[in-house]
Amino acid sequence: MPPADRFAAARPASEGSPVEPPPVDLAVMIGSLRLPNPILVASGTFGYAREMAGYVDLARLGGIVPKTITPLPRKGNVPWRTVETSAGLLNSIGLDNDGIDAFLQAQLPFLLGCGAPVIVSIAGANQREFVQLADRLEGVPGIAGLELNISCPNVSHGVDLGTDPELCRSVVAGVRGVTRLPVIAKLTPNVTDIASIARGARDGGADALTLINTCQGMAVDWRRRRPMLGNGIGGLSGPAIKPIALRCVYQVRKAVDLPIIGVGGIMTIDDCMEFFVTGATAVQIGTANFAEPIASMRLLEALPKALAEIGATCMADLIGTLRPPAGAAVPAPPPPPGSPPHAA
Amino acid sequence: MHLWETATRPVPSPAEPACNDSTPRYLTARIVAHRQIAAATFRIRLDCPEIATQALPGQFAMLRIPDRLDPLLARPLAVYDSFSAPEGDAVQGPPSQRRYVDFVYVVHGKFTTALKEIPAGENLIVWGPLGNGFVAIPAVEHLVLVAGGIGQTALLALGKEQCGRASYGLPPRSRPTSRVTLCWGARTAAAFGDVADFSQAGIDVHLATLDGSAGQQGTVIDLLNTLEPDWNSPESRHVACCGPEGMMEAVAAWTAGRRIGCHVSLEAPMACGIGICFTCVARVREAASGASPDEPPAWDYRRTCVEGPIFSAASIEW
Ligand SMILES: Cc1cc2nc3c(=O)[nH]c(=O)nc-3n(C[C@H](O)[C@H](O)[C@H](O)COP(=O)(O)OP(=O)(O)OC[C@H]3O[C@@H](n4cnc5c(N)ncnc54)[C@H](O)[C@@H]3O)c2cc1C
Ligand SMILES: Cc1cc2nc3c(=O)[nH]c(=O)nc-3n(C[C@H](O)[C@H](O)[C@H](O)COP(=O)(O)O)c2cc1C
Ligand code: FES
Repeated sequence: MPPADRFAAARPASEGSPVEPPPVDLAVMIGSLRLPNPILVASGTFGYAREMAGYVDLARLGGIVPKTITPLPRKGNVPWRTVETSAGLLNSIGLDNDGIDAFLQAQLPFLLGCGAPVIVSIAGANQREFVQLADRLEGVPGIAGLELNISCPNVSHGVDLGTDPELCRSVVAGVRGVTRLPVIAKLTPNVTDIASIARGARDGGADALTLINTCQGMAVDWRRRRPMLGNGIGGLSGPAIKPIALRCVYQVRKAVDLPIIGVGGIMTIDDCMEFFVTGATAVQIGTANFAEPIASMRLLEALPKALAEIGATCMADLIGTLRPPAGAAVPAPPPPPGSPPHAA
Repeated sequence: MHLWETATRPVPSPAEPACNDSTPRYLTARIVAHRQIAAATFRIRLDCPEIATQALPGQFAMLRIPDRLDPLLARPLAVYDSFSAPEGDAVQGPPSQRRYVDFVYVVHGKFTTALKEIPAGENLIVWGPLGNGFVAIPAVEHLVLVAGGIGQTALLALGKEQCGRASYGLPPRSRPTSRVTLCWGARTAAAFGDVADFSQAGIDVHLATLDGSAGQQGTVIDLLNTLEPDWNSPESRHVACCGPEGMMEAVAAWTAGRRIGCHVSLEAPMACGIGICFTCVARVREAASGASPDEPPAWDYRRTCVEGPIFSAASIEW
């Protein structure tokens, strides 16, 4: 046996089984938006897609979320803007972008020609700016949806729209009022109770939720006695945050009945499957694009086999099929009204 | 920790025609040689025709060790040189026949510490060639290469090309033969590796060390000041510089004071190398601004991995 096949028997079928899998339907619905497959690329980790044309067959992606745009150009934060940490990446890019006008003129035409659904990510400093951005994009043909980045940890000025359920609701409701596009709220994990923020987004009229943005973090150079990032603190991404992202999907899935797009630390097909089973309808690939520009294609290719491994023929056979923890007590039926309180 | 899958694209056999465009590629490349050439400095040769045939002087590639989550990201290394044989430096051949690409690195942190342990025969993940390379160097009588630390890696191919000793790119670029000088500064003598690559190409090599253990004692600026009286007029010269940021800033000021043209190869930290993360930015002056002396030129952050790493020194807001 050639050395490359040494581990074939030990590998799960999802990774390199020679058996041709049966045809599976990878399409998913995010509210009214149909995506050809559930592998999307995350905002801020795929540029404006044109940079990736030499690595990725853009038309095959389930969706592209380009880098977040703001009403006016932003220079972004002072370098250093990223620092690698253990199995993770800290960033404080600071929404460096050329503003919506430049986006519409210079980036959107290419994006819309890629052949994949384009979900435009927008961020404003307040509700008014979000509404203004959504209003500008409403008339533009070809856009598949809006992702509201109410969760960027690198630009807050004291008020964090994504950390208060009522502020979150009002931003989503404002955008909902001016657009017919599917509205997807992207939430931050940097809150005590993410389910309450998710309810705020639902009450504001969100069609779906993207979970999660980066987790606040910091790296320090003790010899120079300085933070490593130019901005002091930043957002952690990559494999280090996958457990946090899964936990958020799990909690939000139980709290609201909206489709969830899972994101955070996805590198392998097993990671994708964990998100689907936990309740994500689709996933976004973020930091993995940096470490391996072809990551999204590799995962897309591995997906049918992984579905076949558990006998699934479509995504619905998989999404949100998580069982209770092994050994968990089956919850007792609620006591009939009027019965005495249970003695603990 | 579980290993992640790596997509492996087979390294094409030499019979396969090399692609004739400069699209960067994501590749698995075998290490064919790996040896130490100076204190904490290693030279590694990869079997990688896609990069070997196409790389221009000053371009770089991203390298990563397969199946590891730590280090998570690839690191940029300058393409040092390219060859048509797996061993030795003599056989270079025309760019279209090259198959092997060399990188020279100094052991610094996570990636380079891990890399130095990986023997020939193993594979690395690599994508490139990346960046603009030295495309805008004017045809001058005298090209002065100024290197600090490990900065010589970005300059060898340019020097060889300018001396008429080697050509790069598809189709090969032609360059006027001119006089080439290398001024290379380091902390101490032990840091200089494979200096002969430069001298054997016909480049006039001058060294400086901070501790005086080799060449002139002092910095490269001290060295430039010593050599300058023997050189022709500033207009006949151009400087290409790579090294630590403070050193490049000093060289930029030295050249600006003499009205000598200067290009620098910036070494900003990078996360992707391909323009998607906005990590690697430098403050670059807008060409149109700053026309009047009263008005400070406007600048914007530019991604050095796609718009650089080579910039005119005068365009950098240090
Ligand atoms: C275009 C380009 C070409 C390059 N070519 C070469 C080359 O040919 N040979 C070579 O040896 N190196 C080269 N470098 C530099 C090399 O990529 C970095 O030194 C790289 O970080 C080494 O990886 P590491 O994991 O060993 O160190 P890391 O773990 O990344 O770094 C260790 C420590 O060094 C510090 N550090 C990291 N990056 C930088 C930085 N850019 N400036 C200052 N401090 C930093 C941080 O404090 C970090 O904790 C090049 C860089 C660029 C951008
Ligand atoms: C360098 C960098 C830039 C990012 N920029 C944005 C952004 O502009 N808008 C946004 O909504 N999320 C941004 N993110 C967050 C990612 O979209 C994603 O939510 C997060 O990185 C977690 O996923 P990952 O672990 O797969 O990277 C950025 C992440 C990184 C690492
Ligand atoms: S390193 Fe990612 S944009 Fe330059």
